[in-house]
Amino acid sequence: MKLELKSRQVCLFIIAFFPIVKIFTAPSVLSSFASNDLWISTLIILAVDFIGLLAIVYAYKHTKSDLFALIENTLGKFWARTVFVLYFVFFFLKAIVPINEQKDYVELTLYTLMPSKLYFLPFFAVALYLCCKRLRVLGRAADVLWAFSVLGLIVLISLSIPNADYTAILPIGVNGFDGIFKASYSVLNWFCDLPYLMFFIGNFRLKKGDGVKIAISFLISVIMIVVFMITFYSVFTSIAYRQRFALTEISKYTAVINNIGRFDYLGIVLILVSNIFALSLPLFFACKILDKIFNITKKWISPIFVVGAQLVILLVFTRNFASIENFMKTYASAFFFIVGNILPLFLLALVKKEKKYAKNI
Amino acid sequence: MKLQKSLTQNTDYIKSVLSSDDVTFLSLKIKETDAVLIFVNDLIDKNNVGELILRPMQEFSGAIEEKTLFQAFHSPEKKCVYTADEVVTDTLLGNALLLVDGLELAFSFGLKFFEKRAISEPPTSTVIKGPREGFVECLPVNVSLMRRRLKSPDLKFEYLTVGKYSKTPIALCYISTITDIKLVKNIKEKLKKIDIDAVLDSSYVSKLLVERKTSLFKQVGNTEKPDILAAKILEGRVAIFVDGSPIALSVPYLLVEDFQSASDYYNSPYSATAARSIRVLSVLFALFLPALYVAAELFHLQLIPLSFLLTIVNSIKGIPLSPSYEMFFTLMIFEILNEASVRMPKYVGMVVSIVGGLVLGETAVTAGIISAPTLMIVALSGICLYTVPELEQTFSVLRILFLIIAGATGLYGMLLAISALFIYLISFESFGSPVAAPFSPLIKEDLKDGFYKGFIQEMTYRPKSIKTTNKKRLGGQD
Repeated sequence: MKLELKSRQVCLFIIAFFPIVKIFTAPSVLSSFASNDLWISTLIILAVDFIGLLAIVYAYKHTKSDLFALIENTLGKFWARTVFVLYFVFFFLKAIVPINEQKDYVELTLYTLMPSKLYFLPFFAVALYLCCKRLRVLGRAADVLWAFSVLGLIVLISLSIPNADYTAILPIGVNGFDGIFKASYSVLNWFCDLPYLMFFIGNFRLKKGDGVKIAISFLISVIMIVVFMITFYSVFTSIAYRQRFALTEISKYTAVINNIGRFDYLGIVLILVSNIFALSLPLFFACKILDKIFNITKKWISPIFVVGAQLVILLVFTRNFASIENFMKTYASAFFFIVGNILPLFLLALVKKEKKYAKNI
Repeated sequence: MKLQKSLTQNTDYIKSVLSSDDVTFLSLKIKETDAVLIFVNDLIDKNNVGELILRPMQEFSGAIEEKTLFQAFHSPEKKCVYTADEVVTDTLLGNALLLVDGLELAFSFGLKFFEKRAISEPPTSTVIKGPREGFVECLPVNVSLMRRRLKSPDLKFEYLTVGKYSKTPIALCYISTITDIKLVKNIKEKLKKIDIDAVLDSSYVSKLLVERKTSLFKQVGNTEKPDILAAKILEGRVAIFVDGSPIALSVPYLLVEDFQSASDYYNSPYSATAARSIRVLSVLFALFLPALYVAAELFHLQLIPLSFLLTIVNSIKGIPLSPSYEMFFTLMIFEILNEASVRMPKYVGMVVSIVGGLVLGETAVTAGIISAPTLMIVALSGICLYTVPELEQTFSVLRILFLIIAGATGLYGMLLAISALFIYLISFESFGSPVAAPFSPLIKEDLKDGFYKGFIQEMTYRPKSIKTTNKKRLGGQD
C-alpha cells in the first residue's frame, strides 16, 4: 500500500486543525455552564481524548493495515462495514453545527454592511473540491496551515492580553462538578477529533520517537485551546457566555486597534483559512468512508452526495437551527462520546487480535 | 525504402521526394564510378564540401567499397545510412549525402553551416553580477555552452527528432550519476509520442509534455542561461534543448524556482534572502492588493483605519463607477498598455508610455473617472508582478479572478478562492515532484534554498523534492 502521509504531517495536522473549530462558539457554550471553570471542562475532555490518542498511537505502531482492513482482518467484513457506517454518521453529524456556526459568523461579523448567507455558500464548492482529493492533500495542507493556526491564535491572544483580567478564572471549582461536566458534555460536538487520527492508521510509518512527537503535538494543541479559553473568559468575565463569536470579540477592544484599524483581522483571516479546511475535515472523511463501503471509484460521487446533503441541511433548516444545535449539545453528545472517545480504545484489542492472527499464520 | 545498388534508382526515388529547387543533386565520379552528392544549398558549408568530400574523392585510389571509401573522407562528422528515408532526413537536417553506384548505402557528412545569432545576455534574465552568456537558437551552440560548464563524462546528451514536417532536433541533457534514470525514460517516451506537424519553439514541447493540459500554472521550468541550467541539472533535473529555441526546458519544475534568481547565488545569502522576501511580498501585493482594496471598500470598511478611510472617502467622492468596476477597468487599461508596449515598435514605445502611463492616468484622476488610490494600487500591483517575471502571465490572470471574486463576495470569498488555489497547488505534481515543495510537503532541508537562501556550506545535499541517485553535493558522494 502506498503511504499517503508522514508522521510529521500527522503532528502538524493536530496543531493546525484541532484547536481551530473550538474557538468560535464553543467558548461561550462552555462558559454558559461552567463560567470561570470553562478551562477545567476543556481539560477534562482533552484528557479523555488523550487516552484515546494513546490507543491510536499504539495502533500506528503495531499495524500496517488501514482501519478498514484492521477491522476486517479481526472482526470480518460485516463489522468493518458497520463500524464505518457508524463513523459516517458521526462525521456527517459532526459537520452540521460548525458549518452553520461558520455561516452565522461570516454573515454577522464579516458582512455587517450587507449580511447574506450567499457569501458563505461558495464554501461548499471548496469543500467539494477538497473532498475529491486524496488523504495526502490533508497532510500537505497541514504542513502549511499549522503556521496559520498558531500565528492567528498568537495575534488574537496577544491583542487580548491588555484587556484580560486573569484573576477572573479564580476561584477554581466554584461552579461545582455538575456545571463543569455539563459544560464538557455539551461541547463534544466541537471536540471529539480522535476519529480523524484513526483514519490515518496504516497510511504512514511510525518511526522511533514519533509516538512521543504526536503526543507532544496534542499537548501543544491543548495548550493553545486552554490558553484561548482562559483569555476569553478573562476578557469578558461574567458576560462571556453572551459572546457567541469569541474569535472576533476577544481582541476587538484593544487600544491599538483605534490607531491602526482592525489589526486583529490579520489573525482572524489566518484562522479562517485554517478553519475552511478544519470544517471540511468531517466531510472529507465521510466521503472516504462512503467510497470504502460502496467501493466507489469515481472520486466526485461521494463528495457530491455528502457536501450536497450538508448544503441542503444548511438551507432548509436555517430557521430550526437552534433546535438542531440543542439536539447536538444534548442527545447527540452521548453518540459523539461513544464513537469519538470510547470506540478508539477498542483499537488496542483489535491490534492485539491482528497480531495474534499473524503469529498463528 | 532500403537503398539499392543502382544509383539511378536511388537518385530517382530521392528526387521524387526532395523535388525542391534548393536541393542540389551534384553528379560526380569516383575513379570511373558514378556518384551523386545531395545537399540543401543554403544549409551547407560549400568550402568544406570541396575540402572534405570532393578533394578526397579526386585523390581516391582504392577499391569502391564501404570501408575504404568511409576512411578516405576527412569530414570529422560522418556516418553511413542505409535507407532512402534517412537520406532525405539527413539532407534536410543540413548534411551532405553521397550516393555511389553499386553500394547499398549513402555516406552522410555533417557540414551544416547557417547564420546564427551571437551569444549574448538574454533580455529576460539580466544580472549585475554573474555570467552573462545566454543560449541561442542553434542547438550545437547550446550543447557546447553546457559542455563548457560541466566537463564531466557523466553529462549525457540524447538526441531525438520531433515534428512531422519540421523534424526538429531535440536534445535531452542530464548527469547520469545524479538524475533518476526513470525520469529520463519517462521524458523520452513522452517526447517520442509527440505527433505534431512542427515544433517551432521549446514552448511547444513544454505544452506537449505536461500532464495537466488545462492548468494555468507552469509545469516545466525554463531558462535562457547556461549557468542556471547547469545548476538545475546538478540538482537532478533533466534539461531539454530544442533546435531553434534559445529557451531550454527543465523538469521536474517546482514553483519556488521562479522566486529564485541567478544573482541570489552570486550575492551574499543575506541580500539573496532579502531579495527573495521582497519577491514573495511583491507577488502577494500584486495578487491580492486590488482585490483586498475592493473587498474592504465594498464589504469590510472596518478593516481600514479611520484616518485612511477618510482619505479614501475624499478621493472616491464623485467617482461614477463602483469600486469593483473602477478597479477592473483600471486593471484592464494597465493590461492593454502592457500588451501594447510589448508588441509596438520601439520608437513609439516612449510615446505610449508617456501617453498611457502619465497623461491617461493623470487625466482620468483629474476628470474624476477613477480615484487616485485605485490608480496607485493598480500601478503598485503592476510593478510588483514583474519581480517574478516568469509567473507574470499566470498571476495577472489570477489577479483579475481574485478581483472579480472580491467584488462579488468580499473577503470570505477571497479566502475561499485562496484555499481552492492552495488545494490545487498542493495536489499538483510535475514529473513526480510536488510543485509546492519544499513548503508543502514540508522538506526541512530544502528550505535552505526556498524563500530563505542559506550559506553554500549548508547545502550539503541536493533538493529532496527531486528524486536523485546521488544525494550529496558537498563533501563527496554519499
